[in-house]
Amino acid sequence: MPDPPARDEDLVRRYLSGDRAAFAALVERHERRVYNLALRMTGREEDARDAAQDAFLTVLRKLSSFRGEAAFTTWLHRVTVNACYDLLRKRQRAPLLERGDDDLPALEPPPAPDHADTSSLSMDVQRALLQVPEDFRAVMILHDVHDLRQEEVASIVGVPIGTVKSRLHRGRIALARAMGIEQQERVLEDPKGPPVAGGPPGAAPGDPRSGERADAAGSSDGTVSP
Amino acid sequence: MSHPEDLLADYVDGTLDERERAAVDAHLLGCARCGAEVRQAEAARAVLSEFEDVPVPFGVTGPVLAEAGRRFERRPGVVWGRFQWAAGLAAAAALVVVVALNVGGEDARNAAAPERTTAVAGGTGAAGGAEAAIPGAIPFTGLERQTDVNYDEAGIRAVANDAAGAVLAAEDARGTQTAFAGAVQGSKERTDLARDCVDRSGVRGPNDVLIRLIEARFEGTPAFIGVFSEGPGAGQAPDHIVVFVVATEDCRILSTASQRIPPG
Repeated sequence: MPDPPARDEDLVRRYLSGDRAAFAALVERHERRVYNLALRMTGREEDARDAAQDAFLTVLRKLSSFRGEAAFTTWLHRVTVNACYDLLRKRQRAPLLERGDDDLPALEPPPAPDHADTSSLSMDVQRALLQVPEDFRAVMILHDVHDLRQEEVASIVGVPIGTVKSRLHRGRIALARAMGIEQQERVLEDPKGPPVAGGPPGAAPGDPRSGERADAAGSSDGTVSP
Repeated sequence: MSHPEDLLADYVDGTLDERERAAVDAHLLGCARCGAEVRQAEAARAVLSEFEDVPVPFGVTGPVLAEAGRRFERRPGVVWGRFQWAAGLAAAAALVVVVALNVGGEDARNAAAPERTTAVAGGTGAAGGAEAAIPGAIPFTGLERQTDVNYDEAGIRAVANDAAGAVLAAEDARGTQTAFAGAVQGSKERTDLARDCVDRSGVRGPNDVLIRLIEARFEGTPAFIGVFSEGPGAGQAPDHIVVFVVATEDCRILSTASQRIPPG
């Protein structure tokens, strides 16, 4: 019976103890996940390549300070998301949804994705995804694409779980709108519509974070007022 | 009207408990806004869940592994001693290290250069004459076929160590051409294929010069082993050896090794 694969944390220890092959094993194990996360975040193969390399190099530099308080995969995801943020900042690609809710139909076309995943549905989704603010996009990709639990996503992006729930919901709505899945009805009591990337009614336009509720988890007591 | 925004993500995920779900259902009956949001969120979640991973292109992790090799080698206490050296020679039993030709100094160097460029058509990197002018330069002579040799990590480190020793020997042996040559040479087509495979891994730096190429197996997997000398450029002697092992089937990186060349 073959030995079970070594745990990530054991590979880290082995590398730090002088087993150079252990780092290569870590890279091989996680390169697909890291690259695809970066690809969904940036939408471009070249950017994903750069972000993935930056992430692994950061891991390499900081491996000796990895204490194992969090799972290695959590740390690796966090480093990758941060590498994407850094790269996107450098590229100065301002998210196009950072504007008022009612401006949504006038969205300019985002940069076209150029990666190998060229099915028309995937391209359309990726194009729409690039219009969702980065913080919301990261949460959606980690949870809805990579199937990570909300608790782990919260740990990766460093926000309370209530904020994850909020970003997840708002990000999904922003994505649907960017794909042309429009809201079918609007209630008269709220003519501004739902608080998507621009925040709730009354929030400052242009601040996608203004609609977040960091304490959402604490208020989730099931009490709903219809 | 208060909207249950805190619960809608979990509602769409289907992770609410029965009581919470019933409360949201009751709210949705009377709230068109939340109903529309839920439909949009469900649609978005559905399309995201259909995303499939794409394969990692060649060359993404090569530079990372190369850097890992350099860092590892710089760590205190990492010294390849005589044991590894001996292991390398044993692992490369089929290898013939040719301390080639000659004795004739300049004439022999000039004579060797055209032969090399003929043998490795389509090659990249410094031209033969320029290589020969650099201290420690080792000309690439072609693909060595060692298909009956199965390398492991120690064997690859030994190859790096071996190459570092050869560079030092070349620096010492001025007027003598040092080169690696296999007992069985690959064809030009096979050599070009192997070079292309190693290059596609994206590991080659601007000052890396291919000095040796082996076709063998690595831990059972058919592989090409590319050995590069790496230096600061500008005619200075190489100061590192970097070895990359790629699978012959798809050119993915299987392993790396590096070895510092001590100043001569």
